[in-house]
Amino acid sequence: MNLYRREMRAHLKSLLIWIAGIIAMLAAGMGKFTGMEESGAAMNELMADMPKALQAIMGIGELDIGTPIGYYGVLFLYLLLMAAIHASMLGAAIISKEERDKTAEFLLVKPLSRGRLLLCKLLAALTQVLIFNLVMLTGSILVIGSYTEGESSAGAILSLMAGMLLVQLIFLTVGMAIAGAGRHPKRAVAYSAAVMLLTFLLSMAIKISGHIDYMGVFTPFYYVDAAAVIDQGIGAGYALLSLGITAVALVVLFAGYNRRDMR
Amino acid sequence: MNMYLYELKAYRNATMIWTASMTGLVLLMMAMYPSFAGDAEAFMDVLASMPESVVQAIGIQIDSIASLLGYYSYIFLYVSLCGAIQAMHLGSSILSKETREKTADFLLAKPVTRGAILISKALAALTLLLATNIVYFGAASLIASSVALEPYDYGAFALISFSLLLLQLIFLAIGIAAAMLLPRMKTVLPVTLGTVFAFFVLTFIGSSSGNGKLRYVTPFHYFDRAYIIQHGSYETGFVAASLVIIAVCLLFGYLRYRSRDVHAV
Repeated sequence: MNLYRREMRAHLKSLLIWIAGIIAMLAAGMGKFTGMEESGAAMNELMADMPKALQAIMGIGELDIGTPIGYYGVLFLYLLLMAAIHASMLGAAIISKEERDKTAEFLLVKPLSRGRLLLCKLLAALTQVLIFNLVMLTGSILVIGSYTEGESSAGAILSLMAGMLLVQLIFLTVGMAIAGAGRHPKRAVAYSAAVMLLTFLLSMAIKISGHIDYMGVFTPFYYVDAAAVIDQGIGAGYALLSLGITAVALVVLFAGYNRRDMR
Repeated sequence: MNMYLYELKAYRNATMIWTASMTGLVLLMMAMYPSFAGDAEAFMDVLASMPESVVQAIGIQIDSIASLLGYYSYIFLYVSLCGAIQAMHLGSSILSKETREKTADFLLAKPVTRGAILISKALAALTLLLATNIVYFGAASLIASSVALEPYDYGAFALISFSLLLLQLIFLAIGIAAAMLLPRMKTVLPVTLGTVFAFFVLTFIGSSSGNGKLRYVTPFHYFDRAYIIQHGSYETGFVAASLVIIAVCLLFGYLRYRSRDVHAV
């Protein structure tokens, strides 16, 4: 429990900076919506006929940018990217920093099994990811609510945020697994960032080409495509796949960390 | 000279990986160009039947995107994202690693001035970025000329690709300044990724607003590719702005590094 509190405090400052950053992004991004609204209807008809690649290049996809929720969907990709960066950095750092700061010895001689140690760190990281997600959720509902007249789009936002949580879980646990089970804890943060960047670029490539949809399985950014999620919620297959990846990463983490030599 | 060579060697692998991945990205994306151009062509026919006002709103933009240069400039955004991360990471880690790895007192006890240390490190970083750009430019030209369906403006292509170097220099300088501002930087990557992606996202948010002073906020906007294609040159104001940023950051880094208190182990 001490370890949990210690980790929460240690990462408090960076969490606050992140939260300030995403709120500013959300507000600035939605501020642009006012200008879009008028030309929206005419644009939409045209957009529907566009080839997929062009839609992807203009950042719009199949979203209806004339409505607040549709415009938010365009923004969502970037919010998701920020969430993924936060989660993967946090996951890799929370494990690897002990070896980086040469405090691993100090921590491991405490009367605490490695499994419990990981559990505390995992809980602390999960709490922070959840806080990040909840702030984003309330922020989005408030901001979009102020633009929406009539029917509320809270349901769509809720499923978008559920999707974001899945992506956060994937990157968090994968980051932890890289740091915990890998052989180079010092480079864990870099590896974890590389995985995140590669999957992001892959998701952009898939959208532009339009012919390699099957590659979507490899990139979490594709699981929660904003247009599909707003329309029909998260696909059950993708949700299971994300949870599966998370579970595998956790197994690798616990199995690997328990038998690793500390540096 | 020793320091310069040492840093070159220390960052050789990382630079090679960055160069390879940037080249790979261009290769992957440009390979899709022929099929993309076909799609766009079909769409242009649909566009012709649309009302005049709508066409004017987005038509010109699409016309330029469907060309090789337009498509390349879109991809180039992601290349420059990678380049910016590389440069800023290089700039901030090359200076802060001595403190982090507790080698600062070893280095500072050598008979060299702090100014010489900073200059050799900055020169090493510059050399690495130049090497990255040369390889990238060579590969990108090869790829572009092999997928081109019709002749394109090579001068504009070169100018666009060259803006990668300028952007990287800006982020290198920002990285050096950041390392001086945050003397106890434990890990470089989170700071780097946070800064670069914040600028990157600002670019997207800013792009719908068009012109205006807002463009000066994010370096990703400095070398507007549509402008380069149209006019065959950079915008003077933004080149000046980047030079000012580089000069200010480097000067700050130099002065701060000379007088800074470096903790012994």
